[in-house]
Amino acid sequence: MRVIRAAIDEAYSVMAQMVGSVFRHGLPLTDKIAARTALTNFVLHIHPVRVRRSWIRMSYTLCLGGLSFFLFIVLTVTGLYLMFYYVPSTQHAYQDMRDLQFVVTFGGFIRNMHRWAAHAMVITVWLHMARVFLTGAYKKPREFNWGIGTVLLLITLLLSFTGYLLPWDQLSIWAVTVGTNMAKYAPIAGPYTRYLMLGGRAVGDATLLRFYVMHVVGLPLIGFLLMVIHFWRVRKDGFSGGL
Amino acid sequence: MASDFRRLVQDSREMTRRSFLAMAGWAGFTVASLIALFQSVKFIQPNATYEDPPAFKADAPSAYPVGSTTVIIDKRVVINRDPNGFYAISLICTHLGCTPRYFQDVTSDLIAAGTAISKDPDTGQEATKANPALPGFKCPCHGSRYFRDADNFFGPAPRPMDRVHVELAKDGKLFIDRSIVVDHHYRLKV
Repeated sequence: MRVIRAAIDEAYSVMAQMVGSVFRHGLPLTDKIAARTALTNFVLHIHPVRVRRSWIRMSYTLCLGGLSFFLFIVLTVTGLYLMFYYVPSTQHAYQDMRDLQFVVTFGGFIRNMHRWAAHAMVITVWLHMARVFLTGAYKKPREFNWGIGTVLLLITLLLSFTGYLLPWDQLSIWAVTVGTNMAKYAPIAGPYTRYLMLGGRAVGDATLLRFYVMHVVGLPLIGFLLMVIHFWRVRKDGFSGGL
Repeated sequence: MASDFRRLVQDSREMTRRSFLAMAGWAGFTVASLIALFQSVKFIQPNATYEDPPAFKADAPSAYPVGSTTVIIDKRVVINRDPNGFYAISLICTHLGCTPRYFQDVTSDLIAAGTAISKDPDTGQEATKANPALPGFKCPCHGSRYFRDADNFFGPAPRPMDRVHVELAKDGKLFIDRSIVVDHHYRLKV
């Protein structure tokens, strides 16, 4: 009986920590809580109450999160450029990609920028995560932001994966065939997941359109919303370093 | 917030009318959201696809000499004809789904490198130093190899490629249905 009660208490405290990490305090019933509510609210008080110089030391953060965000902006802008010429259908995609590379003025430059920024973003996001982990910056009270960060990592990787299909060359088609077959190996939901990803039984027109929509709208939108929360939390919690 | 939750779970008699209504509201919202999520998944699941149908007609049996291997690359199907009859292979690598390619010789480089190659379990064929070259399939993605009859012998492929149904259509042509996987020993006698 005691063991069960202890287990329940443990479960409560874990849940309380989780909830407490998302919602910082209860209703602002006293002046003190009301002041804290205002100071930790994005709308009421956008800047952190204090920032120590040591917190934003370059040698501590290496600016990896900022670099990731900068690359996200580069990718958004260059991606917008590419969308002017690219049609996501199996009839046009490959030729459009070739045109961008060889016919459009500065098309090759923009496409290569998009490609290299994508590779770089995957690298900086991983390094950012490694830095946060190694400096213990994921600990209380930043657990929730670490959670958002892991989802942002996943979105970065999914953006990379969906973008890989769009040139519609042999490498794209078979890479996505292989990738979605890996998803198929997941227990129970695997084959159905693959069917939803492909919009059919093999990589084809439906797949290209799906991946395009997720690549240019779905994933960036989710990623952007999560980034807003992520950065806001960073500002409110302060940086973890140099205490 | 957390303590409110804890109190609520520990003793439901402390629940007020207001918090009961709030909970009912949130429960309704949750249920509605779950239904919307479910419907969204159903929405992106295509009810009809306009892909190439799994069944198709090939040529008349006389177009395939005994002992021949014919790759129909657009359909990702291979038609083999043996003295015993016809069988068709679904040309999809059992590792991760790429399309293996047919070669007259898929064994001699392995024999030369000293790699042990098992005997083909179905035909009993074996690549040896004296006779190193056997025809078969190589997958370009991760290097799986198959004998001519689709039995895997090298690389990451976990099992032979599927054999699919072949029959004779009314007009005398071969009719192949890729959606029906048949036994390894299935042969269409003509």
